[in-house]
Amino acid sequence: MGTVNKFMDVLENILMPVADKLNNNRYLTSLRDGFMIALPLIIFGSIFVVIANLPFLDLLIGEEAYAEYQAALAPASAGTLSIMATFVIVGIGYKLTEFYEGEAIYGGVTALAAFLILTPQVLGDVTGVIAAENLGAKGMFLGIFTAFTAAELYRFFTEKDWTIKMPDGVPGAVSRSFSALIPITFTLSIFLMIRIIFSYTPFGDVQNFIYTVVQAPLTALGSGLPATIAAVLLIQIFWFFGLHGQIIVNSVMDPIWYSLATENLAAFQAGEEVPHIVSKQFIDSFIVGMGGSGMTLAVILGIFLIGKSRQMKEIGKIGAPAGIFNVNEPIIFGLPIIMNPIVLLPWLVAPVVVTVITYMAMASGLVPPPTGVIVPWTTPTILNGAIATNSWQGGVLQAFNIVVVFFIWWPFLKILDNQYYESERDDEESTNQSA
Amino acid sequence: MKKILLACSAGMSTSLLVTKMKEAAEGKGIECEIWAVAQDKAPKDMKEADVLLIGPQMKFMKKKFEKTAAEVGIPVDVIDPMSYGRVDGKAVLEKALGLLES
Repeated sequence: MGTVNKFMDVLENILMPVADKLNNNRYLTSLRDGFMIALPLIIFGSIFVVIANLPFLDLLIGEEAYAEYQAALAPASAGTLSIMATFVIVGIGYKLTEFYEGEAIYGGVTALAAFLILTPQVLGDVTGVIAAENLGAKGMFLGIFTAFTAAELYRFFTEKDWTIKMPDGVPGAVSRSFSALIPITFTLSIFLMIRIIFSYTPFGDVQNFIYTVVQAPLTALGSGLPATIAAVLLIQIFWFFGLHGQIIVNSVMDPIWYSLATENLAAFQAGEEVPHIVSKQFIDSFIVGMGGSGMTLAVILGIFLIGKSRQMKEIGKIGAPAGIFNVNEPIIFGLPIIMNPIVLLPWLVAPVVVTVITYMAMASGLVPPPTGVIVPWTTPTILNGAIATNSWQGGVLQAFNIVVVFFIWWPFLKILDNQYYESERDDEESTNQSA
Repeated sequence: MKKILLACSAGMSTSLLVTKMKEAAEGKGIECEIWAVAQDKAPKDMKEADVLLIGPQMKFMKKKFEKTAAEVGIPVDVIDPMSYGRVDGKAVLEKALGLLES
């Protein structure tokens, strides 16, 4: 036991600083919080995609009426989901500027303007239009880089203090808008120069450059099975040490997973085949989120089916109501899962097995891949999988996966339960003896 | 009136604890306001609070929160994992009150 504890201490001493670094990195923090700002809008759009694509509705009201119905609801997602990079950009610019204690809203809108300056405003022969894909999935990475750079430049020029000073008596709001003028002018001029320089390269524009050189290779890597398994394992390892694995891993992976999801959504809405299996929902709905991190809904099920110790039963009672809505801290800290060598194996193995099963089920066409609709993570399992894939098969796959997780956990839960049971009996005996 | 703020990743699991802590406070006849927020909102809400407790899964955020907490002059601590797992409102309330006294 001593060596095990020592080993755990060593690992925690490695992981804690990593979590701390990742979490306190100002770019990753503003990236995460920037996505958080966009989230309500993305969910709004998602809800309407789900409503617009209700199964069997076309049979019920006829194809023509269905087409009209879909067209009427389309602007809800076109105004949010399809252009989600713009919200993320404003969010990142805002949050990063806020971190530097500058005028956050100017950081946000400057980032957006910088991005639009870099974005081609021509489509075929028509000028003065921006292709929605450039403001959505395709523009995501450039948007993130632009937001970081714009906010940094804005801070740089603000700190140079080349601001226009207004005489006393000018209202605060007026002088503030002037004080932002010079930093914004310099920042945006730099982006204009970047655009002009890129127009002389074979790429034509920066969007195209970032997409080809950075985003496409990175998302291709991130959508593969090996990288996904690695990410899932990392989430589990962080959690085992009591650290919120998703928050930490997502701060790096979200741009990739969200880009994949948005590309899926664009295809789904166009009535085409969904291109990617792995995306934000693959991770959230099918891997991490069944009952909360580590798919503990199956563990709760196990507790009810095999738990005979009081401690087990008590944890089940506390954990079940929250677990249905995918909140599982009571189970993680109460069972406990963290730092508990007995359950380390199922904790690490089950999500990997489920990742492979889900990937195979979707690759073989048995279950359609997630459409890109963002399902709020508190949506109960089965319903969650059905909405995410817009199919009943998604719900069935989740139910199947829960059974798989249950069987992987079963022997280990039994050992733990027996341990608790024995120690409870010993306690009772010793109290009886002393009484 | 004591104002106790809890924070975790989304304010979900801590809000379970809020309910239990309120019950515990009522039982003891202590008047207090207890609420839970997502971690990105915590720095803002800290200005309204007398003490901040963070979920154990977010303990890597302690350093960051301590900076703001020092500015507004309130204590910060991480909730003990066992009390968190058991959703033990009484124990966590006691911890919060203990921090307020010291």
